[in-house]
Amino acid sequence: MADPGDIAIGIDLGTSYSCVSILENGKTTVIPNEWGERTHASVVSFLEDGTVLVGNSAKRNIITNADNTVYSAKRLIGRFYFSDEVKKAQAVMPYKIIEGENNSVRIQIRENVYSLPEISALVLKEMKAIVENYLGHEVKKAVITVPAYFNDNQRQATKDAGRIAGLDVLRILNEPTAAALAYGFGKDITQRIAVYDLGGGTFDISVLEIGKDVFEVLSTAGDTYLGGDDFDDRIMTWLAEGFLKQHGIDLRLNKYCLQMLKEASERAKIDVGRDGVAKINVEGICQDPNGKVMDLSASLSEAEFNKMVMDLVQRTFKVCDEALQSAKMTAQDLDAVILVGGPTRLPIIRTSVKHYFGKDVMAGIDPDEVVAMGAAIQASSLLDAKGDHYLLDVTPLTLRVGTVGGYTDKILDKNTPIPIERSKSYTTNRDGQEKVKIKVYQGESNKATECEMLGEFEFSGFRIGYRGEVRIEVTFEIDTNGIVNVTAADVETGQKTSCTIRLSSGLTEDMIQSAQAKNAKTKLARGEAAA
Amino acid sequence: MDEAFEIEAQALAQVLEELDYFQILKIGQNASPSEIKAAYYRESRAYHPDRFSTHKKLEVKETIGRIYKRINEAYVCLRDDVKRAKYLADVIGPERQKKLRFVEASEQELKKEKEQEVGFTPQGRKFYMAGLADMAAQKFAAAERNFKMALTYEPNNPNFKAKRDEAGKLIKNDMSIR
Repeated sequence: MADPGDIAIGIDLGTSYSCVSILENGKTTVIPNEWGERTHASVVSFLEDGTVLVGNSAKRNIITNADNTVYSAKRLIGRFYFSDEVKKAQAVMPYKIIEGENNSVRIQIRENVYSLPEISALVLKEMKAIVENYLGHEVKKAVITVPAYFNDNQRQATKDAGRIAGLDVLRILNEPTAAALAYGFGKDITQRIAVYDLGGGTFDISVLEIGKDVFEVLSTAGDTYLGGDDFDDRIMTWLAEGFLKQHGIDLRLNKYCLQMLKEASERAKIDVGRDGVAKINVEGICQDPNGKVMDLSASLSEAEFNKMVMDLVQRTFKVCDEALQSAKMTAQDLDAVILVGGPTRLPIIRTSVKHYFGKDVMAGIDPDEVVAMGAAIQASSLLDAKGDHYLLDVTPLTLRVGTVGGYTDKILDKNTPIPIERSKSYTTNRDGQEKVKIKVYQGESNKATECEMLGEFEFSGFRIGYRGEVRIEVTFEIDTNGIVNVTAADVETGQKTSCTIRLSSGLTEDMIQSAQAKNAKTKLARGEAAA
Repeated sequence: MDEAFEIEAQALAQVLEELDYFQILKIGQNASPSEIKAAYYRESRAYHPDRFSTHKKLEVKETIGRIYKRINEAYVCLRDDVKRAKYLADVIGPERQKKLRFVEASEQELKKEKEQEVGFTPQGRKFYMAGLADMAAQKFAAAERNFKMALTYEPNNPNFKAKRDEAGKLIKNDMSIR
C-alpha cells in the first residue's frame, strides 16, 4: 500500500500548452498555478540571471527575448536533425537549432547547448513545481502523455525528459486514451467511441471500446505534422501576403516581425472561432525603408477563415477513415465522439466532425484539460495497483527490421495490442562472424527510407562458428509505454548475447544523469499573471 | 497479490510454451468472436501488468509480463478470421508443436506467392492472363490452350496447373450450343 503522502501526477505535455492534474478523493483536480491559470504555455525562456521562466508569462518573451525563448519543442523532440520538421523549424523559429551527435537536434541558448528532452524537462519541472506548491510537499511520480501516433524515438525522448526533471515516469500514456479514460472513468458504460484529438502540433484519432472496467483501443491513426499551428500559419500567410501587396514589405523575412505576426495569427484564430470575426491590429509591426513605423490591421471573417483551413480539416478525416477501417467499423457504429485539444473549439471543426460522424459531439468535456485528467487517473491507479480499470492500448506504427537492398520486413503490425513480443531467428553471414547488426524501423512502407529509423542494435557474445551455423534469435518487444526493446540470444546455448548497443540520436545514460543534475540546479523564475 | 495467484501464474508460465492460443485464452476451438473478446477481457483482468505495477518481486513482474504478452499474441491471432482459420489448421495438424505461435508470411514470402499466382516469366504471365480472359468469356477450350502454353514456360507453377485443370473440367461440362 502506498503511503498517503505518496502521490503520482498526470501531465499533459502539449506542443503549445501543458496541464497538470491529480486525483483527490476519487475526483480529478486540475492544479492551477499561483495566478489561477490552469493551462500553461509550453514555452521556456532563459533569462539573463540564469533562471528559467516557463508558462504563460514566458510566452510574452517569444517577442521580447526571442533568441533565448524556446516554444513548440514537442515538434522537434525525438526527431533527427536531417528531418523535414527540423528544417522547417529552423526557418521560422527565432531560437538557434543546431546539430548534435548522431544526427540529433540541439538548441543553443547563449553559450549553452540543450537537448530537446532537457527543454521539455524544464516544462515538466514547472508542472511538478505547480503541484508541489499546491500540495505543500514534494512529488516524484508521474504519468506523462504523448500523441498516440508518436514513434519510439519520440516516446523515449519524452520519457528521458521526465527523468531529467527528476520524475519517476510510471507510464508514457497516449493522449486520446487518457481522454477516453477521463470520460469513461467511474461511469459504468459500454460504448464504442472515437477520440478526435487535434492539438497544437499533432492530430490523433483513436477508436475505443469501453466496457465496465476495460478501455480497449481498437485502432489509432494520426499525423504528427498537423495541428493548430498549421491553422495559424494559414492566417499568417494571408496576413503577410496582404501586407506585401499593400506595402511591398515581406514581414516574414524578419524573425521579430514574424513572431508578432504569429502571435496575431493565433489570437485571430481564437477570436474568429469565438466571435465569428477577428479584428487584427498590430501596432508597430515593422518600419518602412525610410524608418517610418508601420501598423498591421486586417479583418478576418469566419467564411474566409474556413476557406483557408478547409483542406487541413479534410486531412484529419482521411486519417479518421484509416482508423475506422483498421477498427473494422463505420461512423454509424460509434456511440459517441469526444473532442480533445484547443483547436477543436473552432466551429469549423465541430460542425465538420458532427457531419463526418453523423452525431453530435459529446458536451461537457474540457478539450484543454481532459487529457491531464485521464493521466491523473492512470497515475493514481498505477501507484496503488488497485486494478479497478484496464487500459488495453495498441502500437500505432508497424515495427520493421531492415533487410538487404534498403527494404524492410514487418515484425509487428500497427494496432497490435501492447505489451507484445515477436522473435525472429537470424544467422551469421560469414565464417567467424563476431557481431550482428540489426536496424529497426517504424512505418508503413517496405522501403527503409520511407520509415523512421529507431536505431541500430549491435549484438556480440554469441558462439563463433561457420557461416550460417550460428543461429541468433532476436526478440522485439513493445512495452506498455509503446517503447521498443530488442534483445538477442544464441538459439543453441540459450545464452543472451551481451553488450546491446543502441545507436540513435537518443541520450545516453550518462547524458541523462548530467542533465538531471543541471535541471535540479536550474531555478524557475516566477513571472506574473498573464494579462 | 495473494500467494495462490502467484503460484498459479508460475505454473502457467512453466507450461506456456506448450499451450496453443485457445488454451491461453481458456476457450474452445469453436469459440465465437464475442466469447474470444470476453475471454481476452477476463484474462486481462487477471494478468494485466498494471495490476502488478507495485509488486516488489521483479521475477513475478517478469512472469506476469511474459504471460500477458502471450495473451495479447493469442488475441491478435484469434480475433482475425483469416489468421484464426490458418492457425486452427496448424494446431490440429501434425506440426502442432512447431506451430503453437502464429507466424504470418513475411512480405517477401507474400510477394513470392503473388508471383506464383500470375507467373514470374513474361511469357508465362502473358499466356496465363490470356487464359483468364478466355475463362471470363467462357471460351474454355481456348483458355485451356493458353494455360498449357503458360505451363511450358513455368512447368511447376501450381496456380497455372490448377487453372488448366479447371478449364479442362469446364470443357467437359460445356453443353452450350452455338
